Amino acid sequence: MSTAVVEDVVTIPEAPIRTPRRRWTRFILPVFTIAMILYLAFPVLVMIVYSFNIIPNTGESERQTTEFHCCTIVHWQEIFKVPELNHALAISLTVAFPAALIATGLGTFVGLVLGRYRFRGRALTNFVIFLAIAVPEIVLGSSLLALFVQLGSTKPLGLYVPLGYWSILLSHIAFSIAFVAITVRARVQGLDQSMENAAQDLFANPRVAFFKVTLPIILPGIVAGFLLALVLSLDDFVITNFVKGSSSTFPTWVFGATRLGVPPQVNVWGTVLFLAGVFAAGLQILRARGADD
Amino acid sequence: MTKDPQGLPGFDAALARGLTSRRMSRRDMIKLGGISVGTLSAATILAACSGDSGGTSGGTQPAGSVNFDPTTASDHVNFSNWPLYIDKAHGTYPSLEKFTNETSITVSYKDEINDNASFFGEILPQLRAGQDTGRDIIVITNGEYLAALIANGWATELDPAFRPNFDKNAASWAKSPFYDEGNRHTMAWQSGITGIGYNTELVVKPPTKLDDLMSTDFFPPSSVGVLKEDAPNLVMINLGIDPKSSQQPEWDQAADWLTKLRDSETFYNAYDQGYVDDLNAKNLSGTMAWSGDVLYYKIWGGKPYEFIKPADGGLLWIDNMLIPANSANPAGALQLMDFYYSPANAQMLTEYILYMSPVPAVQDLIAKHAAAETGEYAVQLKETAENPLLWPDQELLSQVSLGRNLTTDEESKAWHATFDPIWEQ
Amino acid sequence: MSQAPAEVEGHIPEGMELPPARQGERALARRRRTAAYIQLAPGGIYMILGFVLPLIIIVYTSLSTAGLFTTGGRSVFSWEWSNYTTALSSYGDIYLRSLLYAGIATAVCLGLAYPMAYWIAFYGGRWKSTLFMLILVPFFVSFVIRTVQWNFILGSNGLIFGPLKSLGLVPQDYTVLRTPVAVIAGITYNFMPFAALPLYVSLERIDRRLVEAAKDLYASKAIAFRKVVLPLSFPGIFAAIILVFVPATGDYVNSVVLGSPRTTMIGQVIQDFFLVRHEYPVAAALSVILMLGMLVIAVIYARVLGTEDSTLAAATA
Repeated sequence: MSTAVVEDVVTIPEAPIRTPRRRWTRFILPVFTIAMILYLAFPVLVMIVYSFNIIPNTGESERQTTEFHCCTIVHWQEIFKVPELNHALAISLTVAFPAALIATGLGTFVGLVLGRYRFRGRALTNFVIFLAIAVPEIVLGSSLLALFVQLGSTKPLGLYVPLGYWSILLSHIAFSIAFVAITVRARVQGLDQSMENAAQDLFANPRVAFFKVTLPIILPGIVAGFLLALVLSLDDFVITNFVKGSSSTFPTWVFGATRLGVPPQVNVWGTVLFLAGVFAAGLQILRARGADD
Repeated sequence: MTKDPQGLPGFDAALARGLTSRRMSRRDMIKLGGISVGTLSAATILAACSGDSGGTSGGTQPAGSVNFDPTTASDHVNFSNWPLYIDKAHGTYPSLEKFTNETSITVSYKDEINDNASFFGEILPQLRAGQDTGRDIIVITNGEYLAALIANGWATELDPAFRPNFDKNAASWAKSPFYDEGNRHTMAWQSGITGIGYNTELVVKPPTKLDDLMSTDFFPPSSVGVLKEDAPNLVMINLGIDPKSSQQPEWDQAADWLTKLRDSETFYNAYDQGYVDDLNAKNLSGTMAWSGDVLYYKIWGGKPYEFIKPADGGLLWIDNMLIPANSANPAGALQLMDFYYSPANAQMLTEYILYMSPVPAVQDLIAKHAAAETGEYAVQLKETAENPLLWPDQELLSQVSLGRNLTTDEESKAWHATFDPIWEQ
Repeated sequence: MSQAPAEVEGHIPEGMELPPARQGERALARRRRTAAYIQLAPGGIYMILGFVLPLIIIVYTSLSTAGLFTTGGRSVFSWEWSNYTTALSSYGDIYLRSLLYAGIATAVCLGLAYPMAYWIAFYGGRWKSTLFMLILVPFFVSFVIRTVQWNFILGSNGLIFGPLKSLGLVPQDYTVLRTPVAVIAGITYNFMPFAALPLYVSLERIDRRLVEAAKDLYASKAIAFRKVVLPLSFPGIFAAIILVFVPATGDYVNSVVLGSPRTTMIGQVIQDFFLVRHEYPVAAALSVILMLGMLVIAVIYARVLGTEDSTLAAATA
């Protein structure tokens, strides 16, 4: 054999060698992710820790200090100590639940209709819904304020909406409907109409088919929409700030409290709401895990 | 069916998909154009519908139509005020309790006023609609918003026959101030001075003049605060200008000075009111401040603070009680207002809040009280009785000045156009 | 799974007659349409009164004049276009700054959230949803509180810089608060979940077999990512961009709590004009300009995504 033949042999590319260098790069992403999770949680951790801070008394008003002295549960015991904060929390909760319920009720049907039917004005409705989400909150808030003020001073109508609980409630419903609608719509769009048609083939009339077949399938979407509306309402600051008049909700009160200093009860209540959210999320995970088994 | 990511409350794939689905075709865009035109037409229709004539709004009460006779007072008064502005002990208000004991009128007290502009905005819709604002007494500083309340007829005219204490005991500066002749609408609550408050432990050197705020010889970098509403007047005073008669050229001078301060190394932030928190958090070493705030934390809070009137002058301001239009209980409100002009009651206030009382007799009362007490409390009371900032003599009064009153739209807009953009860079 | 099939009723060309059987279907379709309108009515009316009407009023106000001393603050309609010229000339640069800050924050959000979402979606395994929940969980606390906490943490002598300064590791007069960095960092922090969520959702949906197929074809990890994963995640990227950029431009909480006059954003100016100065006409003009700007961006995005959407549909089929 001549050397020429040997050179004609095709060389198979070598499989890449797992070098030690490759091994540690595998840790970059996980470490990064863990670090990011800690960074995102950091202010919340500070808030929780400082709810146990011992604060030297400066007269009547207790304000959170930067120096940390371990540890006391007195703020937890005196959780209702600041009346304005309690009032703000009450307003937040008594706005959030009704607003979420009503918005879910109204928005579910909007989402259903958009997902199932073709009708004139459908594209327009879609666009309005899209607008309601895309428009910056500050525009929404300021326009709602302008609305309430204009209604109050338009003589023939004389429709005076007091700036306070009612204006906050009406505003929260207004911006939540769109979010519920798209949540439900997306759910409905992914729905297989054949199920409902099958039910109708089995002599179920449309209403029964809806309640017994469609509704249970889209129910997670409705629940998701409700929770979304609830969270949006509890957390809303910008729109509420415009229409609240002299009332406060929890976020607006905290914002105002920063002028003179935040009382430690804010840390306590923040922790409470946080734990409530974690609890709810944990339930969701368990329920979803359970459904998978 | 696509599998949704598990267990995400509220946010889930459905939402994400909903957000990303296609929405509009070209035809829809054209339709939208038509709608925009329709919108503007709707707007013009609304204009026709709005039906109110120009000029002052409804809800103006003609003078003399309100009855201030105490016997007609109903049994509740809503009193809105600034924070740290009334005596407080263990969650109650001793002076208000005393009032209730004497008159059987209960008082709901809210320290909800944080600055004149925002509070004015909060009650503006009700005033415009001719509604009861839910407050019987509010406290507003002299200036643009007080002038607007008076000009639009939203401050109830007071009946001078029913304020005996005021007539007998009020200081000369509280009677007939230039912005409210004859006290037809207001009675002073307290007065104070805007000057410089600083932390003695954090400053490089104690300041004496307003210009020192810009200098790193006196303050560390990024540690000086500014009060947005008071700054223009305070600066004009220190430039040798009398703010009450100032016009655009003088305003421009003050604006230049403030721009220099904003761009200097020492500048930290500008505040509506919340400088106290940053001062306590040691983010500020010094700031334009209100005398009573600084003295409160110094005397009662034990903090290492000092307040000085700048060498070239301080800004005097007067916070005024007034009764908003359509109040439910003006007679009771006027009773409460006059109650605080009795020296014993005014004493309760000043011993706690450390501002200038409109009742000069209080100074002697506090001095006697200090002599009767012992220990640290006595020392604090003595300081209160002797502090020249609370009991200004003629010399101090000549070195402070009230600020510019804005009484027309042109003035107001020009003022804001000159000074607001400095803090909106 | 395909999208919901189109409704029975289709477009009937003019002049054509339907066969009798189809006429029955047509009546059914009409009944369904009426049902649609009835169901739509309550929510629709509320949306008109609570969303469309306010926007009309804002436009109306933006073309009015008002004055505290002349009209008691009431807006009088007068085709006052000067409100718009005032708004743009005085605050044009603040608009630009808001766009800049929001743009930087969006880019940083994407840059930080993408690797996170990628790792969790592809390598999270059983712990995927728990891990993702850990990202979202801090945001159950109100964002006002979280922003205020950052103010607290980053103070000149606060939690981080107090010890650092006393250890001499950082110059005594170093401040992070009241700088553009603080504001952008705050915006980035607050909007992270709005970026992470759509990214995670779209990444999680990608069929692993596609990546494996790429690797079978001798693609390296990097190339597999660049040519397979990245394009398939475009819908998520677009959603993330829109969900962060638009609200961030109008944000003012971060610039008030963490910023200084030199970092003023347009949201602050609008809020100032409405709630402090009570100059509603110019305030409304500022609002309308912001809304139109964001609308243009959002509409462009929706049109672009029209083509991307089919990719998403294919990927999920």
